[in-house]
Amino acid sequence: MKEGSKATPLNLCPYCTAAFDTFEELKTHVVSVHKTEPLPKPAGWIALTVNGQVHELKVEPEWTLYQVIHDRLGLMGVKMFCDRGACGSCTVIMDGRPILACMSLAIECDGKHIQTAEGIAEAKHPLVESYIKHHTMQCGYCTPGFITTAKALLDRNPDPTVEEVMEALGGNLCRCGTYPQHPKAVLEAAQTLREEGSK
Amino acid sequence: MTAKKLGPYQTLKAEGTYKIGADKPTIAFNRIGKRGVRRYDGYAKASGKALYTRDVLLPGMLYSKVLASPFAHAKILRLDTRQAEAYPGVRTVLRFDDPAIHGRELTGSIAGPTRMAPQSAGWAMLPVKTILGDEAIFEGQMVGVAVCADSEQIAAEALKRVKIEWEQRPILLDQEEALQPEAPILIPGADSNQIIDERELTTKGDVEQGFQEAEQIVEFTARRHAHLWAGAELPCVIANWSGDKLEMWVHEQQPYLSKLILSEQLNIPMNKIQTHSLYQGCSFGERCNPSNWHQNGINVLAVLLARKAGRPVKLVLNRAETFYGESGDVMASHFKVGAKQDGTITAVQMKSVFANYMCTTGVEHLIDNTRISHLRCEGITAHVNKPPAWWCRCEQLPNVFCQTLIFDHVADALGLDPTQVALRNDGCEGHDPSYLSEFKRRHGFPDRDSLRECIEAGRKAIGWEEKWHAPGTRRLPNGRMHGMAFTWSHDWDDTRGTGSAAVMIQNDGSVSIIAQHSDVGVNPWTAYMQIVADELGVPYEDIEINPFDLNVGFALMSPDGSCNLGSNGFVVKKAAQKAKQMLLDLASEKFDRPADALDVKESVVFEKARPENRMPLKEVVKMATPMLNAVGIWTEPPVLAWAWHTHGLWGQALETGRPRMCRQANFIEIEVDTETGEVFVTKVVNVNDVGQAISPETVEGQMYGGTYMGLGRALTEEMVWDPSTGVLLNRNLLDYKYATLLDYPEAECIYLETGLGHGPYGSTGIGENTATMIPGLLGPAVYNAIGQRVDDFPITPHKVLKALGKIKE
Repeated sequence: MKEGSKATPLNLCPYCTAAFDTFEELKTHVVSVHKTEPLPKPAGWIALTVNGQVHELKVEPEWTLYQVIHDRLGLMGVKMFCDRGACGSCTVIMDGRPILACMSLAIECDGKHIQTAEGIAEAKHPLVESYIKHHTMQCGYCTPGFITTAKALLDRNPDPTVEEVMEALGGNLCRCGTYPQHPKAVLEAAQTLREEGSK
Repeated sequence: MTAKKLGPYQTLKAEGTYKIGADKPTIAFNRIGKRGVRRYDGYAKASGKALYTRDVLLPGMLYSKVLASPFAHAKILRLDTRQAEAYPGVRTVLRFDDPAIHGRELTGSIAGPTRMAPQSAGWAMLPVKTILGDEAIFEGQMVGVAVCADSEQIAAEALKRVKIEWEQRPILLDQEEALQPEAPILIPGADSNQIIDERELTTKGDVEQGFQEAEQIVEFTARRHAHLWAGAELPCVIANWSGDKLEMWVHEQQPYLSKLILSEQLNIPMNKIQTHSLYQGCSFGERCNPSNWHQNGINVLAVLLARKAGRPVKLVLNRAETFYGESGDVMASHFKVGAKQDGTITAVQMKSVFANYMCTTGVEHLIDNTRISHLRCEGITAHVNKPPAWWCRCEQLPNVFCQTLIFDHVADALGLDPTQVALRNDGCEGHDPSYLSEFKRRHGFPDRDSLRECIEAGRKAIGWEEKWHAPGTRRLPNGRMHGMAFTWSHDWDDTRGTGSAAVMIQNDGSVSIIAQHSDVGVNPWTAYMQIVADELGVPYEDIEINPFDLNVGFALMSPDGSCNLGSNGFVVKKAAQKAKQMLLDLASEKFDRPADALDVKESVVFEKARPENRMPLKEVVKMATPMLNAVGIWTEPPVLAWAWHTHGLWGQALETGRPRMCRQANFIEIEVDTETGEVFVTKVVNVNDVGQAISPETVEGQMYGGTYMGLGRALTEEMVWDPSTGVLLNRNLLDYKYATLLDYPEAECIYLETGLGHGPYGSTGIGENTATMIPGLLGPAVYNAIGQRVDDFPITPHKVLKALGKIKE
């Protein structure tokens, strides 16, 4: 342990007040001595990585992930359709799994990596073009939820069967009845991805 | 020529009033009718970037919640809102006794030939028509108080702190019981629970004579229970005041009409209301204003709350609160039908008792479709303590329900193939109702319809010849009983609607369609752009539309009645033709040739006789600009033309009926598990004559999409009330079950193009038919499978087992 230099501000350990020259040294100390993540966040603060961008924000304990992504981050592709847990329209991909943003408390999602339909589209995932081509939307309200669910499927299973696509999308409701188009669009996107991968 | 002798649509009053007749194309189709045209709204919807009203967030916006009655019939005796008003974060409370809302009724003064008469609107069946009153006549009704707070959570918490003393009143849930003499009267001071409806009796010919001519008489009863829209986007509205100007975001099919009603109810001049209608997450009649009771109610509440709070107010209902309506086909019916041995139906007599609203009487498709000479249809409607009933994709539900069951019962009693009975009675080939035969002659249509083609295509696709059998006679190797059924009707276009739009060629040669239009998912804008592309001679990709703002002045016909395209196709076609004429007039000077010697193709203007004499459209319009304030002396007028079109009037294109030439046929194949009572749909074939498809994928989308809604209505969708309290038990999308991807197979959708439609290029509408036709079809299919009738919809496993005698109640 060294005395802090006058030229740099002190890096004080919040647990034992030990001082360090650099922030990196402080982090190493906290992890090895106090067995915790480098620095605790103030109560109610979470960090979400959404579509590759880190957002640190304060949330109320009762806020859902839907509220945070839709109302705070302004990503409107997360849709509220059934209201709670029945339709899949608010599906986002969290650490590789499709989850319902309306049923997840934001405060429990600290440190998570999240993808929404907007991120999938910005990354030019072939699902978007195949959905357009096959008219896999009518009113379009449920479409982003289908896209995110399908993307999560293709991430873990790049060559799904029709049955596997139907099973994966079986929890997404569409009142307009676009259902027959989804397996066609997803299988075509999978094909495109495989072709791109083999180039 | 005396105008009063002619119907409004046979008089050419102005350029916009169209003589409904065979519309032959004058151009070669490049985009119209072609597959693979990029869907206009596709990227916005797939990428999550499409903005819906529910998504709108304004700075400083407040959130509102309205109290929902916990009782099916009750009056507020005492209302204490003090604790709610004091709750932190609550900004405004609007009580029913506030002078701003007290006594305000939903009616407005919307009567007249082009508007809906109050008695036919969605609130007509409500005995208490106040927007926010002190009396609830169904569980879940908005009543008593609305609060406005910093968040939805705070608003909901505040409502919990409202103290109410209720007086509960007797309830009635069954429409037939409501008409019994001993039933309590639901409306204080009324003689009975019957709702007066001028359509109570429809007759044609003399049914007694028809029964005498008959060789067989068939009698049966049927019931249909309530279902509803359950659209994707929750009902919502945002209101914001700035001085005397009001800005609104509305989730509605008919935003212009909503503006009109709002102005009539709250005395706000229409030109002070700026309305935005963004993408719409479904509608199916629910967000049809003024039809829907809640839609206009929440508009008025949001406007009053925003005025009181001095801030923007958003009012969104939650999913439970959206179960505030029911379908207008809740009916108990008795039928007596006379027929000859060859399948000729000689007389139909029907009597139905409806709950809260009679969408249609049940007989109208028999009038429009068939040559049955003797008809008598009684429809009585009774008040019950259930939500207001209304059009539910679509109002024809009772009509096709009755037609399907009547035809199937007759074919079965006579031992005939139902497709033959349909052809025997169809009003085609010179046997149409008299008005239609005359209409066809006068307007250039051949004297035929397309039922035979539809039936032939459908029979082949489903394998009718090989597979159809007598009821209850085919058990499959998997142990289930096999069933098949068929039904048919005419096309669906309501033959009504008025729209206007402008087509403008910008300085760079790109083209804008200027008009507000609500999109409920039927891909209309792609179709309009296809039409403009072909009529104007520019690439589809060079055309844009920005339909979200009502303040542009032009508004296209709202998406209802399956007559979106029927009206608006003509509007954009005419506007494009006029813009093209302006363009050619402009080019005439530059080419030094008469305008009629020139043409446009792929945005190149050329001389028809010497195509090498050409100029890009962009060069022609370079100096034609609407920017008249720009520096320089520009003398050329902007290339901007607008047009309007009226296509019929509320379903009556002719003095006596609708021009129905296109037909449709629907076939189904099912399996019934006689141990569990479950019905498994294995194949659906929909055949529609659409006259001329503009966007083939869109046509098919309505056909397969509607199948899922139709099957849901037939088998699983039902609003279930607790019989002792009148509380709705399934106010969510887990317990109100509609189809998922896994429930039914993909329908085979075949469309025919005979040019027999009265819409643009011989087309006709297709938005509502399939979802409306399919439900009734399951009755005949289940009968064909098990040999027992279950004409009680939805057809649940319980009812199937009861029909099989396996359970008692």
